[in-house]
Amino acid sequence: MTNTAPLVATAPQRNGAGGRGSRPSARRPASGRKTLTAYLFLAPFLLLFLTFVVGPAIFGIWMSLTNWSPFREVQTFVGLQNYINLFTPGTVTASDFWKSMSVTGIFIVASVPFLVVVPLLVAILLNQRIRATTAFRTIFFAPYVLGVAVIGVIWGYILDTQSGILNHLMGLIGLPSNVPWTVDVPWVWVSLVGVTVWWTMGLNTIIFLAGLKGINADLYEAASLDGAGTVNKFWNVTIPGLRPVMTFITTTTILASANMFGQSYLLTKGGPGTETRTAIMYIADQGLSQNNMAPAAAMSYVLFAALAVISVINFRLQRERVEKGLK
Amino acid sequence: MIKPWARRAIGASIALAVGIAISGCSASGAGTGGAVSADGEYSGPDVDVTFWHGWTGGAAPTIVPQLIQKFNAEHENITVKAVPQEWGDITAKMPLAIKAGKGPDVAVLHGDDLATYAAQNLLQDAGGIIDGLGYSGDDFPKGVFDKGNFRDAQYAVPWSVTPLGLYVNKTVLAKAGITEIPTDEASYTAALEALKGAGVAGEWVDGYVFTGTFEFQSLIWQFGGDMYNDDVTEATFNSEAGVKALTWMTDLVKNGYSPANVAQDGNIKALIAGETAFNWNGVWQTTNSAFADLDWVAAPVPQIGDEKAVWSSSTHWVFPQNKGQDKNKTAAASVFVKWMNDNSMGWAETGELPAANTVREDPALLEQYPNLEPFMNELEYAHYETVSPGISEANAQITLALNEALTGKKDPKSALDDAADKANQILKANQDKYGD
Repeated sequence: MTNTAPLVATAPQRNGAGGRGSRPSARRPASGRKTLTAYLFLAPFLLLFLTFVVGPAIFGIWMSLTNWSPFREVQTFVGLQNYINLFTPGTVTASDFWKSMSVTGIFIVASVPFLVVVPLLVAILLNQRIRATTAFRTIFFAPYVLGVAVIGVIWGYILDTQSGILNHLMGLIGLPSNVPWTVDVPWVWVSLVGVTVWWTMGLNTIIFLAGLKGINADLYEAASLDGAGTVNKFWNVTIPGLRPVMTFITTTTILASANMFGQSYLLTKGGPGTETRTAIMYIADQGLSQNNMAPAAAMSYVLFAALAVISVINFRLQRERVEKGLK
Repeated sequence: MIKPWARRAIGASIALAVGIAISGCSASGAGTGGAVSADGEYSGPDVDVTFWHGWTGGAAPTIVPQLIQKFNAEHENITVKAVPQEWGDITAKMPLAIKAGKGPDVAVLHGDDLATYAAQNLLQDAGGIIDGLGYSGDDFPKGVFDKGNFRDAQYAVPWSVTPLGLYVNKTVLAKAGITEIPTDEASYTAALEALKGAGVAGEWVDGYVFTGTFEFQSLIWQFGGDMYNDDVTEATFNSEAGVKALTWMTDLVKNGYSPANVAQDGNIKALIAGETAFNWNGVWQTTNSAFADLDWVAAPVPQIGDEKAVWSSSTHWVFPQNKGQDKNKTAAASVFVKWMNDNSMGWAETGELPAANTVREDPALLEQYPNLEPFMNELEYAHYETVSPGISEANAQITLALNEALTGKKDPKSALDDAADKANQILKANQDKYGD
């Protein structure tokens, strides 16, 4: 959804350059000019942000309160009816929408742990003094630059039930060779999570790697002098050192997973039945294919509200940990 | 790289368009454009005609520009400009573009979309245009022309039809010692049984639109049923005929004629790889280059039920009702449509059957594209897609039922019943949404 940008933008902030400027009143003219310069630099982005994020978002609220149809001249205000329908069992959209929300939920729960832990471990490996780290870094990051359409086609060939490469290889080593990777549960989930981890872990890896570089080497040395082993150093130096990065990564990863669309659209067609039809997929279908724009707008706001709540909880939890860590 | 004459034509038509807009005589109603003479020639001022279509794959990207270039060369006062884009993009963009007066002057739509557009007043009533061009239902395969009819008005001229057929890998079929292509339930089952004996799953059945849904629709018509009642207010695909059709498909898996859990396109891949003998697929596969090294043949789909029937899709020409549509452009567009239909022989290259009978009945067509013959023979009993606004959303429920039944989530009857319940809700919502 378009609404994630402000949350993301604030995520990596920590107590930055707040300690300076003890006499603000004396420097007002200069700082005023500086503010103006800053706004000028921000203007191009702000303009795009207002036009393509804030504007449509506000328009979407209005849309969700009407029986909006692109084909009518006049739109009728219907109040909260579209929202009420979503929460009334038995309406056309309610059961499908909540099914798709639960599908998105399953995907978040299944994918986020892997998308955080695997890149963390890879980043730690890449942070060691080994040969050809740059080459490895490129290799791990490479899939991320591919478009989802490419991913869909490649994995479609690999995961085909009968003629897929994966099942063929499994057959060679005596495992079942007819696993319905893209056709039946639970295998579709394994495929979708696996493909997503392979595709996007490069980004998180690079961010973790940057975080690792930022941890003061003295801390490791001090820990060694105190007799800490590798495991102890990991839990007591690395993890606390990565906390701000971790907050950023879990938040963005949860939001990215909640926006999952292409993988299931291309690989499983939302199937079997509607088992992998995610909320975004259902909303896009309702709004753009079926022209049910008003209910679709209402659905995206419900999804937005759910994600906002999750993000706030996530921030709170991580912040408490940071504060405890400081004590 | 615009040729000087073309630039002049464009300049002239822009000047013309501006002139018309300023003088305020651009308002147009339904009906014929004024400037088409009886022999189908356009005699008005120079115009640009914008043409939207979704032919972005296969042979179309070379054929369409060739045809248009030829048309433009033959018509001094008309310049057709094609705007190819994905079908999905057309669905998303065209309604809004027409409402804003920025849509095309002529477009091609799939048969099942026509009513959705017509119900929203996005298309011109083309009755007058069609009379002017001298077209009637007899100029096209039975039943296609009527698919352009909605609430007693004709909105569309057929362009192509694409029936389902039976593709056979003859090498695999020979493994079971069979040389005759099966035509009915008995011979088809016998062939599947013989193939099973030879260790081959003969027909891989899938639960996706391509092509499980097309197969199911063919079967339900063969068993005497239909997807919806006559005025499309109620889903009837869960009728006895529907249950028979879907049960026949799930039995393919149960009897070992098909593996379970076939992924989308898994069956056509298997046919090409020599792992199966039969695949129910559309006429568009006749141009599949992967068939080059294969000993294959296409045949009409076997008659499994009580009567002959087969699913077919169709595409149609439409004349969008743009805000302030220029009558001359519509008139020129109608000349273009007639010319395209008359010159649609080469369209078979894309794996679609030209809808115009004159072109299809020309022996030269089969000489050049012999693989099309079985599909042409099916047109006698082909069924086309349901005409009703917003029907694709209800149709999606059919695929859902197939998918659930073929993956063993539900038995055929309850899968179809659940889908029909949902489809009925959607039909009711559509009535509210698009009115009667």
